[in-house]
Amino acid sequence: MIRAVIVMSTEGKSRLARFYDYQPPEKQQELIRRLYGVLSSRPEGVSNFAQVEAIFGPDTRMVYKHYATLYFVFVFDSSENELAMLDLIQVFVETLDKCFKNVCELDIVFNFNKMHSILDEIVFGGQVLETSSDEVLKAVEEITRLEKSASSGGPLPKSVVGRLSR
Amino acid sequence: MALSGMRGLSVFISDIRNCQNKEQERLRVDKELGNIRTRFKNEKGLSPYEKKKYVWKMLYIYMLGYDVDFGHTETVSLISAPKYPEKQVGYIVTSCILNENHDFLRMVINTVRNDIIGRNETFQCLALTMVGNIGGREFAESLAPDVQKLLISSSCRPLVRKKAALCLLRLYRKNPDVVNIEGWSDRMTQLLDERDFGVLTSVMSLFVALVSNNTDAYWNCLPKCVKILERLTRNQDIPQEYTYYGIPSPWLQVKTMRALQYFPAIEDPNIRRSLFEVLQRILMGTDVVKNVNKNNASHAVLFEALALVMHLDAEKEMMSQCENMSRMLLVIDVQDIIKRHQAQIVTSLKDPDISIRRRALDLLYGMCDVSNAKDIVEELLQYLSTAEFAMREELALKAAILAEKFAPDLSWYVDVILQLIDKAGDFVSDDIWYRVVQFVTNNEDLQPYAAAKAREYLDKPALHETMVKVSAYLLGEYSHLLIRRPGCSPKEIFAIINEKLATVSTATIPILLSTFAKILMHSQPADPELQDQIWLIFRKYESYIDVEIQQRAVEYFALSKKGAALMDILAEMPKFPERQSSLLKKAEDTEIDTAEQSAIKIRAQQQTSNALVVTDQPPRPMERRPLAWGNLPFLLFHGPFLFTFECLMQDSASPDHSITPENGVISKSVSEAPASDLLVDLLGPLAIEGPPAPAVSGEQTSFPGLNATPSPVDALALAILSDQSTGVQPIGNIDERFHALCLKDSGVLYEDPYIQIGVKAEWRGHHGRLVLFLGNKNTASLSSVKALILPPAHLKMELSLVPDTIPPRAQVQCPLVVMNLHASRDVGALDLSYKFEATLVNVKLRLPAVLNKFLQPIQMTAEEFFPQWKALAGPPLKLQEVVRGVKPMLLPEMADLFASLRFAVTPGLDVNPNNLVATTSFYSETTHAVLCLVRVETDPTDRTQLRLTPPLLSDRLKELIKDHMVGLPMAPPPQPPSVAVASDDPGAILAGLL
Repeated sequence: MIRAVIVMSTEGKSRLARFYDYQPPEKQQELIRRLYGVLSSRPEGVSNFAQVEAIFGPDTRMVYKHYATLYFVFVFDSSENELAMLDLIQVFVETLDKCFKNVCELDIVFNFNKMHSILDEIVFGGQVLETSSDEVLKAVEEITRLEKSASSGGPLPKSVVGRLSR
Repeated sequence: MALSGMRGLSVFISDIRNCQNKEQERLRVDKELGNIRTRFKNEKGLSPYEKKKYVWKMLYIYMLGYDVDFGHTETVSLISAPKYPEKQVGYIVTSCILNENHDFLRMVINTVRNDIIGRNETFQCLALTMVGNIGGREFAESLAPDVQKLLISSSCRPLVRKKAALCLLRLYRKNPDVVNIEGWSDRMTQLLDERDFGVLTSVMSLFVALVSNNTDAYWNCLPKCVKILERLTRNQDIPQEYTYYGIPSPWLQVKTMRALQYFPAIEDPNIRRSLFEVLQRILMGTDVVKNVNKNNASHAVLFEALALVMHLDAEKEMMSQCENMSRMLLVIDVQDIIKRHQAQIVTSLKDPDISIRRRALDLLYGMCDVSNAKDIVEELLQYLSTAEFAMREELALKAAILAEKFAPDLSWYVDVILQLIDKAGDFVSDDIWYRVVQFVTNNEDLQPYAAAKAREYLDKPALHETMVKVSAYLLGEYSHLLIRRPGCSPKEIFAIINEKLATVSTATIPILLSTFAKILMHSQPADPELQDQIWLIFRKYESYIDVEIQQRAVEYFALSKKGAALMDILAEMPKFPERQSSLLKKAEDTEIDTAEQSAIKIRAQQQTSNALVVTDQPPRPMERRPLAWGNLPFLLFHGPFLFTFECLMQDSASPDHSITPENGVISKSVSEAPASDLLVDLLGPLAIEGPPAPAVSGEQTSFPGLNATPSPVDALALAILSDQSTGVQPIGNIDERFHALCLKDSGVLYEDPYIQIGVKAEWRGHHGRLVLFLGNKNTASLSSVKALILPPAHLKMELSLVPDTIPPRAQVQCPLVVMNLHASRDVGALDLSYKFEATLVNVKLRLPAVLNKFLQPIQMTAEEFFPQWKALAGPPLKLQEVVRGVKPMLLPEMADLFASLRFAVTPGLDVNPNNLVATTSFYSETTHAVLCLVRVETDPTDRTQLRLTPPLLSDRLKELIKDHMVGLPMAPPPQPPSVAVASDDPGAILAGLL
């Protein structure tokens, strides 16, 4: 089971944090802080695996990928294959890239709500839901369409529409 | 860059980003929270859009780590909103911030259910996602049937069905009752036929969860899983979007192989063949490629395939003789494949990443066998000097284990360990050097070599202290073997070791003192100059503050005054009993990593080198251990009573001619000699006064109806023996044989027309070493020989490998190591089966590793005894019982009985001549030595009654003694004191007693 999916900046700011076994907010913050401690002390060019049992408890593993200014981290237990988790991070990021056309950290910061929708199409209750980024994209596009069609009649200020089309 | 679509949210995020510091951020967040709180209070004026915006903001604030303790109602209420955007926010934010027990969830359970059973698929998806992310018991109970319906519905889109599958998995985890196994095994086979890969991936996850709970119910799914794997590995009909960097859905491959690992074994030969083909294809087809992502994915699959191969192989022992050869080949193939990468793994030891270095070490450890041990161990030794400190101890331990396990020859093993100590002395635990000492002691051929090597190291400057210890020890024992070599005269050896004396710690000084004593011993008659030098050192330490050192100095000094007699007192160390490597145990204990476990598993399957198996030695004369050598861990001397321990190396030759089967009675000639010698040996030096104990002879007479009313021990035995399934009749009485062996250390445990099982035992403190002699009495082989030890909870028993076949007329020896953890009267059993022609014989035999074997007699004087005796007042330490119905026996006989129970009996210690006092010490791992004192008061006019007072070792010991004292009811009725029969034939009496 995947225990948590965390995206954080190289400065230690969380950009997305999803825990699939409930953790109270203070605990979440502590975990993220300690996780950042591990990640930030790892040099460049090392592997994508690090030991986190001291942080997340027994039978937990972690893989992460470092893209530009972001860490993408999956925490999971021994029922998952570590390399397959690494692949899943790749799928997640590739999907983001397709969604946002050359994704950058700002996309993720300002669209954290959409991040949730995308993640929900890949990981579901701690299990791998979908591994094809094309399929994820289709589902996310459908959601976006629904959001737009519903909100077009809503009180979306013109200024925002204007900004969106920029 | 796209924006969230909500201006207020974007502005807020932007504001937060512009904050210079945490304090500013907190102010901005507080302001926003205040704003949201006010807006929520006055909900009427709030549009759904605004509500949505505020809830997103709340989630953002929550993610930043601030406590959001309000607004939960508003969030949850959005779930009931009619339009998609609000509903979506409600569902997502709820599943992020609420836990499964939150009361608010109850409020929406109906809405959630309506969304799930409703027609709107997008709503279904949202609801399923929330339930899947936080669903608790309550959700499980009320929603599982609806979720199931979605999963099996043919009209639902795959998008919904794959979520339903995982949602059901979540609910099943919360409450397994929601999935009714009966119906599900068939349903599962259908679901595994799914064509859509998204749905199939989810279904496979669900399947893994179900099958992990109940493999039996899902056997019918096994062929389906193999089919899926076949389809994937052959890349048949795989949609493009499910091909990840050219590899057909690695996730599905991995999950499917995980599922297969839950099935203990695959019986159907066709399925097995298909699966092996699949695995072979994966194993052979995986290569390292440039593209990182492709590499990752293909190796994810490869590793899972390896795990599956190992899993299937681990079941090998469980399977019948007709082992499928292809599987064996497969395993060998895998090992070869791993070996091909040896060079690369070695390079990985230098990887900048510690997790890779660790894995590389584990892998090298796991893949080591006789063929590559030399290379790998040498790599590890080289690596030692550069490895980081955190890894060195583990590295040293692993190198030592591999060197021991796979040594092509013994001198190499010694080289490796000495190098190890030299290069990384700080990280070499004592176990490692104890082990090398054991090996050298047990292998005579090795002794000159090891001594010469030790001598060489002593010439090096800046020697590690462990090296000083091991060198000094080896030279003390064996330097006389080097006497003709340059620089190896006793004087020179002494000089070079003496140089180190000033620099070593107190832990090492005792070893050096022993070495000097040994040098003196080996050079008798000693060179006066050398003797003076050594004496000077002993004298110097006579008043040393450390007790151990002081005691050694005093003793050695006194002993060495004895001149040539020193030779007898301080002989060479006897061989150590074979034992499981404590190193290996240590390694096993410390490892929890699963990768490591599998590595150990592989290793267990490999053939180990025979080089280190201690060879059976010809019988040796008795050897005396030096008085003080408490520094080695094998002997535990505790308490004030130091006594010499005699090593029994008496050889009873092979049981084949020492014991002749004669109609259920072991004939007289037999083991009498060794048995009585044995007791003489044991008790002689302890200066038992009175006649040398004839105690137990091999001679036994079967009492009529001996087993009519079994004692408690017998009852246990009967329970154990009750399921003997064989039609083959044992020769002799199994119980009698067992009881006889309880009082002596060698004899026949079992015999039938085909096999004879002899036992020879040595006991030392809480350790015991039994050798089982399995003798084939026939001219045809015994096959399928299996011996299983069923130890009671208080004993650790480890049987060495028993060969599968015993050739005609051959005898095999199987050492069995026993360790006593605490006092108990339970008995271990040997479950032995073998096949002779078409007859399968299976017997369960009690093993004579009983409580009294862990006793060591202690001789005490009256001055020592009475203070101890008086210090013990009342139960539970001091127990007293009047025992009635005691077998008539004379006091000397009773003394003999106690002697064979391993008590020291001191006549005259008790002023009353009718009383008997016996002393011993009991050894167990938890207690080490416990002093046990027994006083038996007999009434000469009524020998059927006596008072038994054994203090200290609770009632187990008392019961043991009682069992041996009390005559069985069918024994001859109480007779007057002088029982002719008894005095003529003490053996018979004892046999009767038992």
